[in-house]
Amino acid sequence: MTLFRKLWSFAYPGFSFSHFHRVMATRTLSVMPLGNVTLPSAISEALALTLIAQGAEAQIYFSVEHPFIPATYLTGTNSQPSAGYILKYRPPKRYRHNALDAQLTKHRTLSEARILYKLFLAGISVPQLIAVDPRQGLIWMENIDGQSLKSWIWAQETEMEERQVDEGEDAQAQKRVHIIKPVLLAVGSEIAKLHFLETVHGDLTTSNVLLRDSSRVEAITVTFSDKPMVKDPVIIDFGLAQQSTLPEDKAVDLYVLERAFISTHPIHSEEYVEWVLEGYVAGFGRGKKTAMFKVNEIMRKLDAVRLRGRKRSMVG
Amino acid sequence: MPSKQEPATCQQRPTVALGLEGSANKLGVGIIRHFPPPPAGSGQRRRPAEVLANIRHTYITPPGEGFLPRDTANHHRSFVVKLVKDALKTSGLTPHDIDCVCFTKGPGMGAPLQSVAIAARTISLMWNKPLVGVNHCVGHIEMGREITGATNPVVLYVSGGNTQVIAYSHHRYRIFGETLDIAVGNCLDRFARTLQIPNDPSPGYNIELLARKGKHYVELPYTVKGMDVSMSGILAYIDQVAIDILNGNPRYADDEDGGGGGKTIITKEDLCFSLQETIFAMLVEITERAMAHVGSQQVLIVGGVGCNERLQEMMAIMARDRGGQVYATDERFCIDNGIMIAHAGLLAYGTGFKTSLEDSVCTQRFRTDEVYIAWRDD
Repeated sequence: MTLFRKLWSFAYPGFSFSHFHRVMATRTLSVMPLGNVTLPSAISEALALTLIAQGAEAQIYFSVEHPFIPATYLTGTNSQPSAGYILKYRPPKRYRHNALDAQLTKHRTLSEARILYKLFLAGISVPQLIAVDPRQGLIWMENIDGQSLKSWIWAQETEMEERQVDEGEDAQAQKRVHIIKPVLLAVGSEIAKLHFLETVHGDLTTSNVLLRDSSRVEAITVTFSDKPMVKDPVIIDFGLAQQSTLPEDKAVDLYVLERAFISTHPIHSEEYVEWVLEGYVAGFGRGKKTAMFKVNEIMRKLDAVRLRGRKRSMVG
Repeated sequence: MPSKQEPATCQQRPTVALGLEGSANKLGVGIIRHFPPPPAGSGQRRRPAEVLANIRHTYITPPGEGFLPRDTANHHRSFVVKLVKDALKTSGLTPHDIDCVCFTKGPGMGAPLQSVAIAARTISLMWNKPLVGVNHCVGHIEMGREITGATNPVVLYVSGGNTQVIAYSHHRYRIFGETLDIAVGNCLDRFARTLQIPNDPSPGYNIELLARKGKHYVELPYTVKGMDVSMSGILAYIDQVAIDILNGNPRYADDEDGGGGGKTIITKEDLCFSLQETIFAMLVEITERAMAHVGSQQVLIVGGVGCNERLQEMMAIMARDRGGQVYATDERFCIDNGIMIAHAGLLAYGTGFKTSLEDSVCTQRFRTDEVYIAWRDD
């Protein structure tokens, strides 16, 4: 991937483990911990942890088990084992003053956990918060068993390309409408729910949306390769999320996602963005007057943000 | 901005440029010589640029005062002839040896920029040499790369007027993060004004000296927004604390390990220390994000605030923890100077870039990513 694509794919990055494909626990992705930042030994010695992603601010570990919680806690049934746990760790930064570091770690960990839990309670599909230790900078959450939207789209596109010879362009476009569109509509609708609660994500990219293979009722059924598949989008990584009532902030959120589509899925990005926005408006509106007013305002702002870009013109 | 863009000409002989810089309160004149690249496949190493003269004169205002555009322009006008003469004398060259005259096109303060642009035009007409307009930020970056030898670093450009995190991609220096309001140097300078610290040699340096004596950390707002930072709230807050202290209303440190039992009085030094710790931590944080993004291991710090040793130290700790390294220069090249304008201008000139007399206007707004970097191929 070229640098430019990298640059824009995470146009508004936070701690950005986003460019690592989020992978399922069973697949082993070894990321070397940088320098001497490691987990508190009490945790790393007690549990078998796999580092699956490393960003500027946090490290993401996977663990099959949680120290206190029974393995079936998340599924609610005894027959199905849980998909495991994710541990997000903000290591101390040695370059900054201890007091400042402690304050920042505590504040950011808490704020992320609060938002995550609030959204979960509101029924938005985000990982379930399990435990938080703000002083140590630790957040335990459920592991989402599924691939990222980014790699899923890539996989679909590759598969379609391979079949191009015997199917042709039209058939492919049809397939995209058939397979990718429903998922993107659902992604848009999920983002709408998030924004409806006056929460902005701050780092919406196609790697920060996971597709959970799920049996939930509202999940969309997608048929592909004659195998029935159920895809349920889950939004992750709320490290940069914040509460905001401003339409501007939501428009920037959407703009960042749009840039991510353009850089990571350039060929059909226009189509994809259109579908996400279609799902967004639909998810927001639901025929209510105030909601329609809100979403129109956001769309107007989005046009303005597109024109000027995220950055203002620099003075002096 | 129409400028003549000719096919890249491979210079076969050394070229010399005169650079004029005056976007803020420093007037700088520099002369630099570039050597032609070694023939391809010869195995020879590229000869680094040679600094023939690097002269600077700073407009220093009394404590508690900043520099106003009109007075600064007046300063530049009064000194530019002397400085150009001095530069020629130092380099031992005559006007005949100069290939092009480079000047700062922007960004910067309008009046000082204009006065220096007029000087550049005059020299260009007098000596019959082509003009090359240079983006000030690109000048800083290119000079930093030349001096330190960093190949493709993430650049933190911090000065009185600019705060940007920059990475190169596809012939542009792209801005990753920047300040949303005032620049970091501006924040330090204005706080120095509040404390009535001398502006000689520079307010930022005097703050750095005071900060070394500071012990107690005062909690300040910390405003990183994604990749961007905001400084104005911090300044407003710490200004208020400083004014309280100066008015004889002492504040007490609340740190537990200070040993004062809540009775330690916060001093000016403590405030300088806390201000530096806070805003530099913000800068290091956004730089680290940019590094994680582009996967770069190098950081280059340029700009006047880049001289600050505490900033360099913090950046070095961050870079070491990431397995990378920091490149920084000293005050000769960090603080605004003419040589960086000459250097960046000569790089552009080498690719056939010239600024016609009609286009030799300057602009206060000139973003780093507007410049097409024709001289880099990576």
